[in-house]
Amino acid sequence: MSFEAKRCGVQFCPPSIVLIYQNMESKKVRKRIIPVRNFSKYSDYGMAAERLKNHPRHGDYLEGVSQSQLEKLLLILRDHMQGFTLEHSLASFRLDPDEDLNKLGDEELARKKGQMDELFEKNRRRKGDAEFVYDLEVDFNKSIQESCLKRYWTKTGV
Amino acid sequence: MADEVGSIPELDLKKYDADEQVKIICLGDSAVGKSKLMERFLMDEFRPQQSSTYALTLYKHTANVGNKTVAVDFWDTAGQERFQNMHPSYYHTAHACIMVFDVQRKITYKNLVNWYKELREYRPEIPCCVVANKIDADLKVTQRSFNFGKKHGLPFYFVSAADGTNVVKMFREMIKRAVDYKQNPSDFMDEVMQELENFDLEKKEDNSAADEDGLKAESPETV
Repeated sequence: MSFEAKRCGVQFCPPSIVLIYQNMESKKVRKRIIPVRNFSKYSDYGMAAERLKNHPRHGDYLEGVSQSQLEKLLLILRDHMQGFTLEHSLASFRLDPDEDLNKLGDEELARKKGQMDELFEKNRRRKGDAEFVYDLEVDFNKSIQESCLKRYWTKTGV
Repeated sequence: MADEVGSIPELDLKKYDADEQVKIICLGDSAVGKSKLMERFLMDEFRPQQSSTYALTLYKHTANVGNKTVAVDFWDTAGQERFQNMHPSYYHTAHACIMVFDVQRKITYKNLVNWYKELREYRPEIPCCVVANKIDADLKVTQRSFNFGKKHGLPFYFVSAADGTNVVKMFREMIKRAVDYKQNPSDFMDEVMQELENFDLEKKEDNSAADEDGLKAESPETV
């Protein structure tokens, strides 16, 4: 059976990952609440994410959700357990183009990576997608490209 | 886990079957997408996930260049970039370098200077390129000119690990340049290494005699 993950979120009480997915056979969209067990404010979010990905019953449903996205959700959950607000957690994910990420610790870096991963997953072309081309070449010196970009400029009103 | 262990001898066999073997290293700041680029190029070939706590991730790949089979070892920093400098062994015997920055984060472009400086301390002559990743985030960046590459005479690529733009092209060109470099090194030490490797092969052919003398034909690259 194949499932396409649509959205994935976190719920504080009881601690769970909430997944909206589509069953590709029946085409039905469903919600699945996956309890996060044995997780405390001291837990390792990376290990917990891995456990979920490899879970015998839930793992298949989470295939389309990246490790870093799960880590991000578990970090929000853990922040909550430690008494931080959601605003605080979200601020820690924010990216500053001038911030040197080489200077961050593992956890702080994971927060930023989780954020970047969202865009990556959004723009990602996977093997099996209709538009997927393994050896995709685009010459950015060509004028065709420029005309496409011009259209983009007017659209945004610049 | 068992799968991983099981696959190692197979990979090694491949390596011995290859006509040529090269090492290509990746450099760049944290989270510029080095591993993502690698995984996009290798697709299903790539090894199971490895955590940033390891100092290194190695990807093995077999490529065809002309009519030759080439075993490529791709070295990825796996978080080592956060300790300011890379361990010298990272650069040791590398035949090409891929330098990556994130077009969304200015600082990663600025830091290329440091990466390039360190690279040239260890490997003054190897082919190198500059890769502008994440162009899918905003195509407008492809209109801008990034002069770092031009200034140092390095090829420049606009790529996206997410949608795949120019990823395969860039890797194939770099593999080819790595092979070219290995065959015609312009660095004295590399010429010596090449000589040693050939010497080593001759020795292996004459294995029995060497054994009698108590000599072991060891590869100079295994340190």
